[in-house]
Amino acid sequence: MRPWGTWTVAAAALATTALGACDSGSGRAACPAGKLCLERGNVADPLTLDPLKSTTIGEQHILGDMFTALVQYDAKGEPIPGIATAWETSPDGLTWTFHLRESKWSDGAPLTADDFVFAMQRLMDPKFASEYAYILYFVQNAEAVNGGKLPLTAVGVDAPDPRTFRIHLTHPVPYLLRVATHTAMYPIPRHMVEKYGDHWTDPAHWVSNGAYVIKTWVLGDRIHAERNPYFYDAKSVCIDEVNFYPGADAISAERRVRRGEIDYNWDIQSNRISYLRQPGQIPDFVHVRTWLGTVYIPFNPNAVPAFKDIRVRQALTMAIDRDFVAGKLMRGGQLPAYTLVPPGIASYPGSVPPHWAGWSFERRMSEAKRLMAEAGYTPEHPLKFELKMRNTNDPQLIYPAIQADWRSIGAVASLYPEESQIAYADYSARNFQAADVGWIADYNDPLTFLYLMKSTTGPQNYSDYKNPAYDALLDKADHDVDLTERGLDLAKAEHLGMEDATVAPVYFYVSKDLVNPKLTGWQENLPDWHLSRYMCFAGHKPPG
Amino acid sequence: MLQFLFRRLLVAIPTMFIVVTLAFFMMRAAPGSPFVNERRLSPEVERNVMAKYGMDKPLVVQYATYVGGVLRGDLGPSLKYKDKSVLKIISEGFPHSLFIGGMAMTLAALVGVTLGVVGALRQNRPADYTAMGVAVLGVCIPTFVTAPLLVLLFASTLGILPTAGWPAATQPLSSAWRYFVMPVVVLSLPQIAIISRLTRAGMIEVLRSNYVRTARAKGLPEHSVVLRHALRGAILPLVSYLGPATAGVITGSLVVEQIFQLPGIGRAFVSSALQRDYTVVMGVVILYAGLILFLNLVADILYAALDPRVRLS
Amino acid sequence: MQGAVLKGRSLWDDARRRLLRNRAAVTSMGMLALLVLAAGVGPYLTPFTFDQINKNDVWMAPLTGGHLLGSDALGRDLLARLLIGLRVSLAVGVVATGVSLVIGVMWGAAAGYIGGRTDEVMMRIVDILYSLPFIFFVILLMVTFGRNFILMFLAIGAVEWLTKARIVRGQTLSLKQREFVEAARAAGLSRDAIVARHIVPNLLGPVVVYVTLTIPGVILAESFLSFLGLGVQEPLTSLGSLISKGAQDMELAPWLLIFPSIVMVVTLMAFNFIGDGLRDAIDPKDR
Repeated sequence: MRPWGTWTVAAAALATTALGACDSGSGRAACPAGKLCLERGNVADPLTLDPLKSTTIGEQHILGDMFTALVQYDAKGEPIPGIATAWETSPDGLTWTFHLRESKWSDGAPLTADDFVFAMQRLMDPKFASEYAYILYFVQNAEAVNGGKLPLTAVGVDAPDPRTFRIHLTHPVPYLLRVATHTAMYPIPRHMVEKYGDHWTDPAHWVSNGAYVIKTWVLGDRIHAERNPYFYDAKSVCIDEVNFYPGADAISAERRVRRGEIDYNWDIQSNRISYLRQPGQIPDFVHVRTWLGTVYIPFNPNAVPAFKDIRVRQALTMAIDRDFVAGKLMRGGQLPAYTLVPPGIASYPGSVPPHWAGWSFERRMSEAKRLMAEAGYTPEHPLKFELKMRNTNDPQLIYPAIQADWRSIGAVASLYPEESQIAYADYSARNFQAADVGWIADYNDPLTFLYLMKSTTGPQNYSDYKNPAYDALLDKADHDVDLTERGLDLAKAEHLGMEDATVAPVYFYVSKDLVNPKLTGWQENLPDWHLSRYMCFAGHKPPG
Repeated sequence: MLQFLFRRLLVAIPTMFIVVTLAFFMMRAAPGSPFVNERRLSPEVERNVMAKYGMDKPLVVQYATYVGGVLRGDLGPSLKYKDKSVLKIISEGFPHSLFIGGMAMTLAALVGVTLGVVGALRQNRPADYTAMGVAVLGVCIPTFVTAPLLVLLFASTLGILPTAGWPAATQPLSSAWRYFVMPVVVLSLPQIAIISRLTRAGMIEVLRSNYVRTARAKGLPEHSVVLRHALRGAILPLVSYLGPATAGVITGSLVVEQIFQLPGIGRAFVSSALQRDYTVVMGVVILYAGLILFLNLVADILYAALDPRVRLS
Repeated sequence: MQGAVLKGRSLWDDARRRLLRNRAAVTSMGMLALLVLAAGVGPYLTPFTFDQINKNDVWMAPLTGGHLLGSDALGRDLLARLLIGLRVSLAVGVVATGVSLVIGVMWGAAAGYIGGRTDEVMMRIVDILYSLPFIFFVILLMVTFGRNFILMFLAIGAVEWLTKARIVRGQTLSLKQREFVEAARAAGLSRDAIVARHIVPNLLGPVVVYVTLTIPGVILAESFLSFLGLGVQEPLTSLGSLISKGAQDMELAPWLLIFPSIVMVVTLMAFNFIGDGLRDAIDPKDR
């Protein structure tokens, strides 16, 4: 018997088959002849396809393609008219009136102002339990309705006629247009919800009003969407079909983009960016840009009494080598953060960093050591506490470095990684001593960050910061009609907060996109918001 | 035979019951709420959410409700994927896992038995050492090392196979098979190692046995002795390995599905466990436990069919 | 024949002779001794400590900047981390195996010796635990009670004892029928004493073999947990953590994957060859 003989023949046969069919090994999903298909890496599966329940960035990328709200972002990330073609504000700033264009849902049913009213009432329905209801609490009676104290119809929105939608506010909200791009303000097809209830989002009978409609969704595989013929601007849409792939492993996604299996992925592992930018790698794929997000460390004074001492907080805040963290560990263009509000945010004159921010790291370390010693802690008799952190790549990289910096000024932090969602649950319950928080703006306005330190904010004021002067400045800003004055008040508040150092900002996020240069119409922008309907492939153009 | 099946069923039911109970209470003992992420959740909203999923009731009531549902075949809604039921997640993912796992086991059996037979026939000779060296390497190199290395070689460098993913339903089989090659190979490597060692040991023992000697003495050709008589005895230990092997493939599939981004339930399980999606975790556990019980049963029946000395009673 | 004493050769003498003739096993024992020595004293001899961050040494190639095996993304010395990782992995392997050994031998011997209903119940429990997919069990433990080094020993150990319990029970059942146990029972020894003095020592052979083969399995299990992010926590490390981190950056810093992988494979192979050698030596029918 010669087993190797048989074996060799089999192996040779297998090899021949593999090589013979080599030419079709691109790994790109099959696309119908004559159609253009876009393959989007989308990091994670959506937790829901209902815009009013959506909370994650990946969901917002999908839903943004499927729906059009009153206003929407253009390819540059600026708000432009969507279903609303025009709008005006009452002189007191408390009533907004939107004039809607004539448009249809993807099943041909007309879209009316009633769909917007219905959506808002549904959002505030206590039984519906949307996690994002709070974002629109500035709408009259919204908070009371959401708390079950008033009937749904009391929510301050109405439709005087099918093409007019009005919002009544409790105080002027100059940034309303930016909030209006959020999924919580998307229209909902009332006729579908009445027919299918919570299951109206089932891809089997999907109805939406954007450029695309969802056809299938297999968990862990892909969401497949096709062009919506009833979209009001369908003629301008170039790409026919879009697939969204989940895949949290940024390195695997990177390899797929590189091979042309995927056209665009909105995440890159930070410390690989400089490698990808080398000549001979894929420098023209890499798009890194400031994003509206901040990583910061809140200190919980009720768990560690030493955190009540401003000297300890200041020392810990000073003794973080942010240049090392941002420049050498993240090395993706992230900026060292000395303040909470990231640069580039709208309606803001810019943050005023704490007084020590301009010092050299050596000077900061010696000052930090002095402050710690004054407070009674030295490297020989250190302050000990636990830092709870997210278990994702970037935190795993930076906290050992911060841990080492702190050790040399007399603070020993033990690291405790947790799944992101669990970590945040613990932060909200104050089940932490020091925490690793990453906050991405909900809308382009400094308030989305400054609320995090307001004493009435509740669970998300992780360090339980309470400074009447800070609160007063934020309240004043709510009623400032002049945007410049409002910006200055907010910046003053932020500076107060930063000097008090109950939170230590670490770095500002960057958006990290990997885009095949064959994909045209994709533009870098501040909200990192990229709709498929603006994209096309080189050498093709939209039908209209 | 019927009596045997009935007895096994009597054992399987309490086993499943204990598995469900254990999973339910361990999962609920875990800290953290499944509803919270980076965003603010006001106390009223949180109360609403908890009430909607019945999580405001006492634990015992929740448990009773859950077991009642399971008996009716209702595994409840996913707490994380709000638009999907647990049953839907499992029925979407399981066929993928089953396919990859089945292919991997088949490949492992074919290659493993071949290597084992070669090793036994060429005992302590270069062919044996080579075969067993391959086997040892299969056990000693973790899948999460082999997988990226294969990706680097076959996808990134040679460009023959896709990096990751599952083919679309419309993809013709002539190109769809490429997606399965690496996951199946990676998943089968450790199994090849174990199977080849088991086969080799079994084969060596059988080759010394009287009935093989008799067959040889009768003047039967060597390949007939090996393939007809010896092999049948030698793969008996393999059959009882079926149950543990399935567990091994399930474990391996957690990593493989992650790396190759396959839409299986292994991946769904890990992420739901880490995110405290209790209902999905318990659904998957019930499925896995049932699967292992079932395969152990199959193994017993097969064993009896292959070995006339064993009776099912 | 003056004064010559004929010395009987015991089973163990034979086994030792056979083991020492097995070249693979002897080489592996030497290798393992070296690895244990390196893990034991190595960390005290390296110029860097395993958690020392060298801010200017991010991703240094081997033999540069005083880093014999290079450095990682945080500028930490790979040699120092590798030695600590080896120490942790070996410790996890030995301790978890020890835990499983104690539970498994007790459980199996008790079930096998007592027999009857008790045996039925005890083995049924083992069957039930078997139907819980191993990984599910450990993931749940780690998720439920937090990532804790001690807990990981216990979790892995608590899963690995199942097979041992089965093997030991089978052996006990056959031992129970043997003459010397009958004799001890006739002499009026208590049941506990018989299990402890006669049954357990005679189980040594198969158990030793199985233990040697369990250790590499446990080391692999730990690395698997590390891959899912449930293993030992920074700045501490293990071979599994080092490999899973290294595999991510293999294009940029291949040394971070290569060196830990080599150490891992050598360690696992050493245990496997020793285990095989022991089995052949104690129960020589296979070779």
